Amino acid sequence: MSDCANVDMRELLPDFAGGTLDAQTHARVEAHVASCADCASELETLRLVRRAFANAPSIDVQRIVAALPQPSAVPAADSRSRPSVRRWTDWRIAAALTMITVGGLSVAVTQRMRLSNSVDSSLVQQRPESVVTPTSVPPAVRGSGATTTQPAIPPQSQAVHPVRAEKAQLSFGGGVDGLDRAAIEALMGALDEIDRAPVAPSVEPDRAPLLPVITEGRR
Amino acid sequence: MSTEPSRPRGLGVERQHRDVNVARFATSHELNRMGQDREPNEDATDLDLIARWKAGDERAATALVERHAPALARFAASLGERADVEEVVQDTFVRAFASIESFRADSALRTWLFTIERRLILDRRRSERRRRSDASLDEADAATEFDALDGMVAEEAEARVVGVVQRLSRLQREVFLLRVNEGLSYKQIAEIVGSTEGAARVHYHNAVRAVKELLYV
Repeated sequence: MSDCANVDMRELLPDFAGGTLDAQTHARVEAHVASCADCASELETLRLVRRAFANAPSIDVQRIVAALPQPSAVPAADSRSRPSVRRWTDWRIAAALTMITVGGLSVAVTQRMRLSNSVDSSLVQQRPESVVTPTSVPPAVRGSGATTTQPAIPPQSQAVHPVRAEKAQLSFGGGVDGLDRAAIEALMGALDEIDRAPVAPSVEPDRAPLLPVITEGRR
Repeated sequence: MSTEPSRPRGLGVERQHRDVNVARFATSHELNRMGQDREPNEDATDLDLIARWKAGDERAATALVERHAPALARFAASLGERADVEEVVQDTFVRAFASIESFRADSALRTWLFTIERRLILDRRRSERRRRSDASLDEADAATEFDALDGMVAEEAEARVVGVVQRLSRLQREVFLLRVNEGLSYKQIAEIVGSTEGAARVHYHNAVRAVKELLYV
């Protein structure tokens, strides 16, 4: 049993079996089937299938009609379709807002964590070498006398390397890369002086924590 | 079926079986009772009848059911629905009429009804499967699924065809029967089974090949 190579003709066989072709096409298929054993066999199979499934259980039409809803009970098109569209639109808007909110929160939390880690690592890495000198404190903070957070600095502490001072202004803890041994010893001495000096009462709480952290790191 | 007169393609499947369906499913009493109403409904399109039903004309609903119920019953029976064919057909019409506003006129009403019926049948099978908690329900039912048809198939060859068709996969069976028995196009079949036109064509030809092999080899 093989299939006819004329696919177009085979496609028409179900319609030919059902008698739904126009006269011209019907005659064309009929002529082909008469000369093609494969199509004749396939057509006979299709007719057999149609006969086998032709008889369906009888249906009580009136019973079905009696079970149908009344036309007045059927919702109108407007009241059916619009809420559906609106529900879909509302759902999309809600999803978009949720995504934006969650995304924004994620970015904020991520940035905050990154900033926190950056500050912590900076402090941890630079803590042994960090120092705050008078030059690293902005002029507005330095102020004068007991109103500032900075204790009095002995004169020898001014022997900080200029490069060190520049770096201190660029970073939290500054750096000691450019200091030689003598400068570092002088710096340590200055820090000891800072430790011994009485701490003035702070009027700027934001700046105060830096000093204990740095001095603690030095210890 | 072979007694149906030849009609040009494209007239709409809802008109192809009309004469035969009405004659087969309406009793002589019903035909006499509806005799004078049937003539105007003959030429009315499905959309006309729907509009008349919505305007309160119950005879339009009757005409629609008469026009499409036989094909729906045949399709349900061919898919193996047992004693519940009429219930399936009735549920199909109830569901269709309840949501008639969602019917789009760009497809044939019968295609839409087939789609609803197919979903109903699948839902019923799923419910039955859950109820019986039997994962191998399809195989277990395969031997009895077509019992309803057995009594109606007169000849041995036709009974053999039913057995062969039942061995096709569900999708192949649906596509094959919609194409051969109902004369639907691949586009309409694809709409009903939720597939593509090309896939429907492939399923049909695979089914034909399988049926021929099972019958004659």
